Amino acid sequence: MQSEEFTTIFGSEENGAQASERETTAAASVRGLSKSFKGTRVLEDIDFDVAEGESLVLLGSSGSGKTTILRIIAGLEEPDTGRVILHGKDVSELPARERNVGVIFQSYALFPRMTVEANIGYGLRIRGRPRKEMRREVERLIELVGLEEHHKKYPSQLSGGQQQRVAIARTLAYKPQVLLFDEPFGALDAQIRVRLRREIHALLKKVNVPAIFITHDQEEALEMGDRIAVINAGRIEQIGTPHEVYNKPETEFVATFLGAANLLLGVVSGQNISVNAILVPAAEETAHFQDGQAVKVVFRPEDVCLSRTGALPEGARRLMNGIVEEISFVGAYERLTIRLDLTGRQPAVNEPPLYNVNAGATDTKTGVPIIVTRPKAEVSALPFNPDDHVAVGLTSFRVLPNFTLASERAGKIVAARK
Amino acid sequence: MSATVRAMRHVRGFDVVRPVSIGVMLAIMLPLVLLPLASIFIFGTNKGLGSFWAALTAPEAIFALKLSIVTSFWATVFNVLFGVLGAYVLSRYMFWGRTALIVTISLPTAIPTAVAGFALLLLWGKYGMIGQFLSEEHQIMFTPYAIILANIFVTFPLAFGVLMSVFETMSRSLEEASATIGATRWQTFWHVTLPSLRGAIVTGALLTFARAIGEFGSTILVSGNLAMRTQTAPLYIFAKFNEGQVEAANAVAIVLALFSFVIFSILFFARDWLDTD
Ligand SMILES: Nc1ncnc2c1ncn2[C@@H]1O[C@H](COP(=O)(O)OP(=O)(O)O)[C@@H](O)[C@H]1O
Ligand SMILES: [Mg+2]
Repeated sequence: MQSEEFTTIFGSEENGAQASERETTAAASVRGLSKSFKGTRVLEDIDFDVAEGESLVLLGSSGSGKTTILRIIAGLEEPDTGRVILHGKDVSELPARERNVGVIFQSYALFPRMTVEANIGYGLRIRGRPRKEMRREVERLIELVGLEEHHKKYPSQLSGGQQQRVAIARTLAYKPQVLLFDEPFGALDAQIRVRLRREIHALLKKVNVPAIFITHDQEEALEMGDRIAVINAGRIEQIGTPHEVYNKPETEFVATFLGAANLLLGVVSGQNISVNAILVPAAEETAHFQDGQAVKVVFRPEDVCLSRTGALPEGARRLMNGIVEEISFVGAYERLTIRLDLTGRQPAVNEPPLYNVNAGATDTKTGVPIIVTRPKAEVSALPFNPDDHVAVGLTSFRVLPNFTLASERAGKIVAARK
Repeated sequence: MSATVRAMRHVRGFDVVRPVSIGVMLAIMLPLVLLPLASIFIFGTNKGLGSFWAALTAPEAIFALKLSIVTSFWATVFNVLFGVLGAYVLSRYMFWGRTALIVTISLPTAIPTAVAGFALLLLWGKYGMIGQFLSEEHQIMFTPYAIILANIFVTFPLAFGVLMSVFETMSRSLEEASATIGATRWQTFWHVTLPSLRGAIVTGALLTFARAIGEFGSTILVSGNLAMRTQTAPLYIFAKFNEGQVEAANAVAIVLALFSFVIFSILFFARDWLDTD
């Protein structure tokens, strides 16, 4: 596990020496953080680095420990074990005010009795900077975040998005080593959220300050993060680029948390995976597994291709046959539930192989349902109706070790959380 | 019963409950509150403003009013300073015995004021537990200091309660934000915490002052009720009334009533300003 994470952070070609050199130049690192509240473990062995100018997203469901990680980095919470290193300096023992980090709180925590100007200038004021310098700097920041018309306003007179920009400017004023955002868009409604996301992303690239974002929203994570750390119950499940965590999930949790995923249980059998009676060729995917090892085959709804004839597009691998059970339209694409026939019944005399489907009647339901999505163009080229028999193939899938011994669970579907 | 009331409320048109209940409230509150208050003003002025003014400017009356204002003022100052300190400490630090301390501080609210005064006497009096160790000239019972002490004893829970509730509902993230920005504890308190307490401090001070200026039960025990020395305004009213000088008592009563009207009005009409945080 440890070494797997390591390779995802640094890339597998790098050797240890290079890696440790990178470590000293990281803008922020945490090492081995763990934390309990009243005997309950909320963080376990958290390790990650944020490079200069990089945005790292901590993605996890509510209660997974994200805020606690942020508070530990900021010095607002003390970890039970572990260290916090900012630009090579161990700040674990320093109080919050000496760490020079910028925290954008979930509620923004703007000072209600101070104007926009006073809020932004607060960091310089308590550092005893000359008035003139303070004015100039505040002016520059107000311009940077585009609040020129709101100098003298109080936070309660601003919209959520404007308050957030004040909060960001307030931290940028004292040139923090790292910016920490706790669910920055949680309090905003969906429409502005997308716009603000882009604005902040652009702003961060402009000021080039490394940032750690917290979110429970996978879409937000994929958009904001140079890298994403997926957190589950106080542990990091995987760290990687958005592309890596989405397309190469290393655990079932990651696969199901980021987007929808179908799961089938199988066993490695040579260069194939046998899912019940069916053998799926998977030379590359099974390379790291032993013969006979229990695995999970994970694939996204958009990675499934369907055909009436049994002919599948180039590169797709034949899985098995199934019956169309349900069809619905979800905006730009079609969403189907296909019940896979896992029995692999041999064709009867004169029976074409494609119709060799035995998923039971709709009330007995012996097969395994999977979710499939298809874009509009494909739907109009090849429409389906409920109870149609189809050949099912996969354009790509992931093979994960199956540690759970729930062998009676032949397969399961976890739809996206959103 | 309650079902009928609810049903009636939803009847369109004339609602009987409304005028009846308002009428009952007026019939009770008028003789209970308004008429007695009105009568002191009517009585005080029915012999003309001249005699009212004469009664009010009698040296004893002036002294009593001054003493009340001064002792209430110092009790208010104490309550604000130590109320803020106490509420800050008790809301920001968790320690063993914290809840017990909060209960102890709030306890005097439930104690009859005469009992409070009596308890202070037993402690600070000439033969009291502490008082016996004080020399003759440092005795504090039967001096204005005793009045201040009694005022504090009786009113501290009021100021503390107002401040504590604001501290406890105040978002911690403001102070945390200030700390991460680089402020020291003191800077955070001064620039962030204190401004949010503005309303609570004014409210606590006004409540303390209003309560202290009218305090009778504890004051009469610890002050000795010595005219021109330890006689506060409420004691003056009581003493003059006992002597049959109803006009003298009434003149001071009017002033005290006006004080409370003013304070009540501030608390009532400025409550939006006092509430904002
Ligand atoms: N100060 C605290 N005291 C006790 N439990 C806490 C405290 N802070 C957080 N927790 C608990 O720790 C867990 C993780 O919380 P948090 O870090 O806020 O999660 P997230 O931000 O991912 O929603 C939660 O179960 C929460 O109840
Ligand atoms: Mg949180």
